[in-house]
This record gives sequence, C-alpha cells and structure tokens, in this order.
Amino acid sequence: MQNVSTSMAQTTALDARSTKVIRPPAFNLGTTLRHIREFSDYTDLFLTLSMHRIKVRYKQSVLGIAWAVLQPVSLMLIYIAIFSIVSQMPSDGLPYAVFVFAALLPWTYFSTAVSAATTSLVAHNQMVTKVYFPREILPLSYVVVGVFDFIIATTVLAGLMIYYHVAVSFVIVWAIPILLVETMFVAALSILFSAILVRFRDLGFAMPLILQLWMFATPVVYPLSKVPAKFRGWYVLNPMVGVVEGFRHVVLQRMSPDLPSLRISFLISAVLLVFSYAYFKHKEATMADII
Amino acid sequence: MIDLRFDHVSKRYRIRQEDATHHSGWLNKMRSRLGPGKDFWALRDVNFEVTRGETLGIIGHNGSGKSTILKLLANITTPTKGEITVCGRIAALLEVASGFHPELTGRENIFLHGSIIGMRRREIHAKLNRIIDFAEIRPFIDLPVKRYSSGMFVRLGFSIAAHLEPEILLLDEVLAVGDMTFQRKCVDRILELSRSGMTIIFISHDLAAVERLCERAILLERGQVAGEGPVSALTAQYLTRVQPSTEEQPTHSAGDVKIASTQFFDESGRASLQFRTGYPLRARIDYEALKEVSPAVFRLQFFGLDDHLHCEFVSGLDSMPLTLAPGPGAIEFLCDEIALQPGIYHMDVTAERADGSALDEKRRCALIHVGQGKQVHGTFYAPHTWRAVATGVRSSDEQPAGLR
Repeated sequence: MQNVSTSMAQTTALDARSTKVIRPPAFNLGTTLRHIREFSDYTDLFLTLSMHRIKVRYKQSVLGIAWAVLQPVSLMLIYIAIFSIVSQMPSDGLPYAVFVFAALLPWTYFSTAVSAATTSLVAHNQMVTKVYFPREILPLSYVVVGVFDFIIATTVLAGLMIYYHVAVSFVIVWAIPILLVETMFVAALSILFSAILVRFRDLGFAMPLILQLWMFATPVVYPLSKVPAKFRGWYVLNPMVGVVEGFRHVVLQRMSPDLPSLRISFLISAVLLVFSYAYFKHKEATMADII
Repeated sequence: MIDLRFDHVSKRYRIRQEDATHHSGWLNKMRSRLGPGKDFWALRDVNFEVTRGETLGIIGHNGSGKSTILKLLANITTPTKGEITVCGRIAALLEVASGFHPELTGRENIFLHGSIIGMRRREIHAKLNRIIDFAEIRPFIDLPVKRYSSGMFVRLGFSIAAHLEPEILLLDEVLAVGDMTFQRKCVDRILELSRSGMTIIFISHDLAAVERLCERAILLERGQVAGEGPVSALTAQYLTRVQPSTEEQPTHSAGDVKIASTQFFDESGRASLQFRTGYPLRARIDYEALKEVSPAVFRLQFFGLDDHLHCEFVSGLDSMPLTLAPGPGAIEFLCDEIALQPGIYHMDVTAERADGSALDEKRRCALIHVGQGKQVHGTFYAPHTWRAVATGVRSSDEQPAGLR
C-alpha cells in the first residue's frame, strides 16, 4: 500500500490522450462550462435519442403522427363548446376557434414537453444506473419532440386561418424569437423538474394539477385584455403570458408582440435556465444512487 | 504509462430509513428525507493504478465494493472523497440490454445503443456490418427487438460494445451470458482486444474467468483493497475470506448421526481447498453416530456460486449399503480425476437414511477452488484414455465415431 501512494505522487504527468478526472461533486462556474462542452460531444446521442422518441411514439400508436394534431384540436373543440357556445368569451374580434387554437399550440408544446420531460429520468432509470451520458439529454429529448409536434400542428392552424380568412403580415417572423424564448423556458423547467422528481416523487402527482392551474393563469382561453389592470404586473411574471399572448398577436392580429411582457419572459427563462442547469449538474453526480 | 488511477477514493451511500414504521406522517418523512441518513461506506480509501495495455481483474465477493468501483469508473456516480484519473476513452459493458428499445428494430437499436455508450453515428455506420455479423442476427436485423430471443438480445448488445473500440474497457460478468459458443467468441474477442493493447478492467467473482483473462488482480474486501498481485497468489486469500464459518450454517439434524467435519485433500494428499481439473480429489467426512443406523447414505454435492448444482455423489447406491456403528467414524470420497470445470464450488454434505430422511446436513460447509488442470474445451471433462488401434481388415467398423 505504502509504495503505491508514493509512486502516485511521482507520476503526475499522464499523456496526450484525453484525460478525465472524476472528483466529488463541486459547485462552480468552471465545471458548468466543462459540462456544456461535454454536452456538445454528445450531440449525436441527443439527436439519435430525440429521433427515436418520435419514431417510437408513432410506431406504437395506430393514429401515429395524427396525435400531434389531435390533442390541440380536441382541446380546441372543448373550449369552443364551453367559451363560445355556452358562455360568450371575448376573443379580440377573432373567430374563437382560431383565437384559442393559436394559443393552444404554444401551450400544448409547453405542457406536453414539460410533463413528459419531468418523468424522463425516473422512467429511464435503467439507463441512468447503467450507462453514463450527460443526463440532461433525457429531458431535453422531449423538448425536441415538443418542437416536432408543434410544427406538425401548425398545419392545422394554417388551415384554420385560411378557412376564416385571417390575413398574415411580416410581423409573423416575430414568432421565431417568441418560440425561442418558450423553448428556453421549457428546457429550463424540464431539467429542473426532472432532477427534482428523482428526489421527490410527489412532484409527479402534482404535475397534472400544476399544469391545469398554470393554463388558466395563462391567456389561452381568454385574451390578456380581460385581465384587470391592477393584476397585470403580477400576471406577466408568468413567462408563458408573454409567449402565448405574443404568439397570438404576431400570427393572428398583425401586431408586434407586447415587448415588456416578452422581455420579462426572456429574462426569467434565461435566469431559470442557468440556475436549472447548474442545479441539474450538481444533482446529476449522485442521481444514480437514489433514483 | 498509467491509464487509470484511483487516488484515495471513498464512496459513501446514505441509507434513508424511508420504510421505517416510526417515520409516518409527512413531517417525519420530510425530516428523514432531508436530514442525515445512516452512512454506508461502499469504498474506503481505495488506491490502485492500471498501466496501459494491462488487463486488471477486480475480485471480491458480493458487497465488497466491486460494482461501486465499476460505477465510479463508468462515471455513473461520483466519489465522496478522493480522485479518479482516467486517461483515454472508457466504455463499460455492464448489463447489456439496458439501452435497448423494444419497439425499434435491431438496426435502429444499434444506432441508439451505440450512441448511448459513446459512439458517433459515423463510426457506427462504418462498423454496422461487422456488428451484425458478429451478433449472428443478420436475417432479423430489421425486426423490432421485442421479437428477439434473449440470446439474440444479449449477442447484439455484446457485439455493439465489442466494436466500440474504446481505449479502456470495463467488463462486468459479461462472460456469464449467451450460450457456450458465444461465450467462447466473447472471450476470444476480449483476448484479441487485450492483445491489441487495450486496457481492460474485468470485475468478477468468478476466479477462474479472472485467471483466464488477467495477469494481475486486486482483491476487494468490505470496500478496501485487501490484496494485490497475480491471480494465483490472491486465490488462497480470497478463498479463506469467503470461507463461511461452520457455526453460522443452518444444520438440520435428526440427532442420530452428527457430521463432525469434512476435509478435502488434493493430489499430493495434503489437506487443501485447491484442486485442478482432471486431478485427484479426496474428501473425508467424520461423523459421530449416537446409535446404530443401517442402512445409511452420504451425499456430497458441488454447487456453483450461483447455487447451480454441478454434480452430486451418493454413497451406497452403487456399492454395498453402509451400516454406521455407534461412536465416531469416517467415510472417504475418492475421485481420481475430478471432471469439474475451473471455478469455485460450494460443498454440501448430507447424511441420510436409505428412505431419504435426513440425519444430518452441513450446507455450504466448504468452498473449493478448481484451477486450470487438464485442458477442457466444451462443457465438461471426463476421465479417459487413448490407445492406438492396429488397422486390420474391419478397421472402419471399429473406429470410434468421433475419431478421425
């Protein structure tokens, strides 16, 4: 034993091969940068896994790709029944079907991606305890699936807009930065919640309720203009407000998005993403021990 | 050149008493979840180095910390203290099928599993045909793997990993999978990789397998390195540590006969627990009869570490029945050439009446190690001789079928 430790002190220089040192988990900025570099080494896995998620889902189901469309469409029909036929919900002068569907697209992306990603680590515990790869790949692959479904479902929105003769202007390109902000937020919550679920399974039971409440705290079935002005300041702290309302503005109403609320969405998402990633990587080190 | 170094590595697991009954109520649960749990040190101050191109064996019985070392090396979990330095691309061949998706085809799974264990798509493309051929599943490659037999599953998994060509390979009991022919193929592939200069860490409790593949090994015991050196030098130490104490073993006794001790003797007649395939083994069972038992039968069983019964010998079945006179006595089991494959075996000794009712039973009373002896290719060794046959007129009829 003795000579082993002395020889160790002498042979410090290794060689040109990539050398990796595995240490107890530490919390600092340098390691976070290293994690990002490591993630970029695994882009192949990230893409392969995301592609397979999409493939598997459509292989296992009879309706296949139609599910990407069916969920927002059926929600739309339910909300038309409740808020357009039973009660009269104002919709900023737009046909209620288009009004609600344009909001359901970013909302469905958010809710399905976050809820699927939250359970991703626990659901794939086999992989987590058996192989190493940057764990954030698991929740993030569901974000890719969400984007894919979103793109499929936009065809229905386009159809609805043609049917209701909704004109489009160049402000629609705003949709891209709006969706980028949303993706940042979705990614942040995905990695944060999935890491929390490993320790506290309670979150899994709470998720449907949280998402349900969250939807009614977001202008999906009603317009932002119906929210009393005195609550607005608090209301827009929900990053989904700027996203959903902004998306509807630029796609349907040929208006620039409400920049103050979008800026809040961006700032909260960016800060949350950095925090979530650091938290996730810190917890990742011992995830396999407790999952 | 050092490829891998463990520098004072310790690993602690927190055991939380979540299912303890006094922790009911959410407040208590919360407290037990957040508060300090009971500590369990799976590894304590472990130091070792592996030089480039070496095949190092890590042996130890269950709970000694073997799999923790593997998990640390594979970066699945991190050490609590100390530092691990890994020089080169490392790949673990743990439980093979964990990265497979049942709905996807074999071909799609090669890409999925390959990228999980760290291969690039380009690399997989280049090796695709070799992987399929090695796994011998070409006709089924475009079927979903849920239709595969378990053998095909395992072959595909090993084949992908075997073509990964990392600089350091971690192996964990992989040789225990698949059929005999495929196992041989795996061993050959590992030896080939080893000869090509790959650094290999082989973790196992199968001493014979470690002996076959590794020139050096470390022995783990309760999370600490208990020995280091050539496998043959560690064998004795491993066996004495593993040796269960007879007092702890459950014994069933009807009271009339007591097995006092069981001793084993090797080819040179010395008391030993080390034997070789194809060489003599003698077992002596000392007993004490309280009253006369007739007829009596002794049973000697060889179990593998997985509790698989390898062979069983029963006294008095093919010879004259035994009569045990009151007082101490002994019986010997003699075998000129033991046919057991190299490996470790647990021994059970039973004394019973002719109707099968047990008189006394010593379960797991000894652990023996069978080392490399006479060459065995295939499943078992059998005592045999060869003789030359004078070629006469009817030579073709007399020639045994297997001889050519």
